[in-house]
Amino acid sequence: MENAKEKEYILSVLARNRSGVLLRIAGLFSRRCYNILSIVAAETENSQYSRILIVVSGDDRIVRQVDKQLNKLVDIEQVDVLPREGAVVREHILLKVERTLQNSERLIEIANVFRANILNVEKDSMILELTGDAATINSFIEMCNPYHVLKILRTGAMAMMK
Amino acid sequence: MQLTGAQIVMECLLEQGVDTVFGYPGGAVLNIYDALYEYRDRIRHIRTAHEQGAAHAADGYARATGKTGVCIATSGPGATNLVTGIATAYMDSVPMVAITGNVNLNLLGLDSFQEVDITGITMPITKHNFIVKDVNHLAEILREAFQIAQSGRKGPVLVDIPKDVTAHTCSFEPCVPPAPEKATMPPEEKFVQAVELLSHAQKPFIYCGGGVIASEASPILKEFVEKMDAPVSCSLMCQGGFDQESPRYMGMLGMHGTNTSALAIQNCDLFIAVGTRFSDRVLCNAGLFARHCPILQIDIDAAEFNKNIEVQLKIRGDAQRILEEICRRLEPQEHKEWMEQIQSWKAEFPLMQKGEKEEDVLPQEVLETLCRLTGGEALITTDVGQHQMWAAQYYTYKHPRQFISSGGLGTMGFGLGAAMGAQIACPEKQVINIAGDGSFHMNCNELSTVSSYGIPVIELVMNNSVLGMVRQWQKLFYGWRFSQTDVEGVTDFCKLAEAFGVKALRILRREEIEPVLKEALAWRGPVLIDCRISKDLNVLPMVPAGASVEEPILEM
Repeated sequence: MENAKEKEYILSVLARNRSGVLLRIAGLFSRRCYNILSIVAAETENSQYSRILIVVSGDDRIVRQVDKQLNKLVDIEQVDVLPREGAVVREHILLKVERTLQNSERLIEIANVFRANILNVEKDSMILELTGDAATINSFIEMCNPYHVLKILRTGAMAMMK
Repeated sequence: MQLTGAQIVMECLLEQGVDTVFGYPGGAVLNIYDALYEYRDRIRHIRTAHEQGAAHAADGYARATGKTGVCIATSGPGATNLVTGIATAYMDSVPMVAITGNVNLNLLGLDSFQEVDITGITMPITKHNFIVKDVNHLAEILREAFQIAQSGRKGPVLVDIPKDVTAHTCSFEPCVPPAPEKATMPPEEKFVQAVELLSHAQKPFIYCGGGVIASEASPILKEFVEKMDAPVSCSLMCQGGFDQESPRYMGMLGMHGTNTSALAIQNCDLFIAVGTRFSDRVLCNAGLFARHCPILQIDIDAAEFNKNIEVQLKIRGDAQRILEEICRRLEPQEHKEWMEQIQSWKAEFPLMQKGEKEEDVLPQEVLETLCRLTGGEALITTDVGQHQMWAAQYYTYKHPRQFISSGGLGTMGFGLGAAMGAQIACPEKQVINIAGDGSFHMNCNELSTVSSYGIPVIELVMNNSVLGMVRQWQKLFYGWRFSQTDVEGVTDFCKLAEAFGVKALRILRREEIEPVLKEALAWRGPVLIDCRISKDLNVLPMVPAGASVEEPILEM
């Protein structure tokens, strides 16, 4: 029953850039038993602040608790729970795949279909780069999988209200 | 004016009106202690036996006065020894500023001697903490620390200062420190909804927590209760927040609440919670708590709404101001039958302790006698365990800040330190720590502090030679297998007290209760009373784990 209501939520957190702020946020999640699925943090246009995007899973009640508990942290200025519909959500992936004479063309074709960039080509491997929503990135990985994926680096979700 | 970091610490304490601090010197705080020497005519420093005692004393000082308690410790073990005391204050929302030294800036992060990452360690148990790496930021950080400690839901803040920062100099501008931030008032519609609910209730139940005391809301609470014509129950943290001599007072609610409170919650049609966080010790089984009626909760911390229990009407803000506004809008209510029902339950189910024999020394009699002899005006602190619950049950508290106990964290060894702090804050009051022998054993070293400073507290040890509360659970749920709870010790508490230079008395028989208490109360210095009681007494009523708060066990 509980799991049925579990959803993914994106929190956009504006925090003062003071030492340990990421630790304070991560510590809060850990001690209150909230699950972080992904986290992306970077300085904002104002260097005194960081924007931290956190994807959490949980039910509505948990997300309201996360929101309120985060708001109690002194270094946190603002917390927004972003609705999926109203936001542009983007993830980024670097994918290194094995390159052979046989699959090279096929991989370029996949890259073209997804509009992925080819960042690097070696004799026996190539690195592809893609930005997109989670579903696009998942299917991109799925398409590449048959060609022996060597390594994946994937960021968490970045999100911005429309 | 050019000052050293250590002098800036002193100036900032003075700005905040701090005249007493508790602490223990050490290498990393040598500069701070040198400044304390310089400022000794304006800031009194109490050196405890152990840093934990200093933290509990600062806590007791804060709870007794409402002011921010201050403790100081050196780096490494000094700082870690504060941790239990800080966590205790955090769980009970007590305003405190803990100042720790640390190693020099260039030694940070190198596993230097007596180095510990105390800001990392205390992150989960402080409202906020700081490490000051530049003396130019020191004053502003200390001011912010005090402001945070007292704003909104109060709590402890730690400021860690590397040793060389306390030696560095910079210019210091005295200023009026920023006042604590005031909670915003809830919107109009909340009051409309509240009055609607309150004026339609036939059988309202008012339940109060520590927030009533923190927001100094006792006088307006009294007015609200009269206006509502309702019965009142208080959590452990709100003992004295409502006058217990009032016929409206039903006793505590929760695991060791009264049967009257249990019956009242079963039958009420509106549950009004003021300044409380619905701890698991109160809810018992959260799924079975007040399911049949709406709950109106007033609290300053939004995160306490719908945390442990779903609440129908949430009003966020300062309890005092919210109750004032509600009282302004609410017509006087009348619930004659309901109040009569409460009175008849109270008469039918008084709190009562039974001994095996007529001549047994019963905590009930000890505490009721103490209450009578002190006119119900003493400031009572407690340790944690059975004696703590008895102290809450059998002494009649009339005023806020009269009962000081570790509620949330349940820290054994809290009481003596807290009593010292409370006594120093309130020299005119009679301060008595009700302890158990287990709790006393944990921090009995602080007898040396009360002795050397002549702090006239009474340490009343309910000595049953067992860890009574744990043993009670073993009786109920572990088939009388008393694993490690029989502490029948060889320690002679009286001799121990005398070794510290503390007067010692003993209660062995029932007829000694009154004369010994009288003698202790008349003594001008610190006293320990070794009060021997049976190991088989239980704290009752009791709601066993998992059961509904409505169904306490009355006898066992």
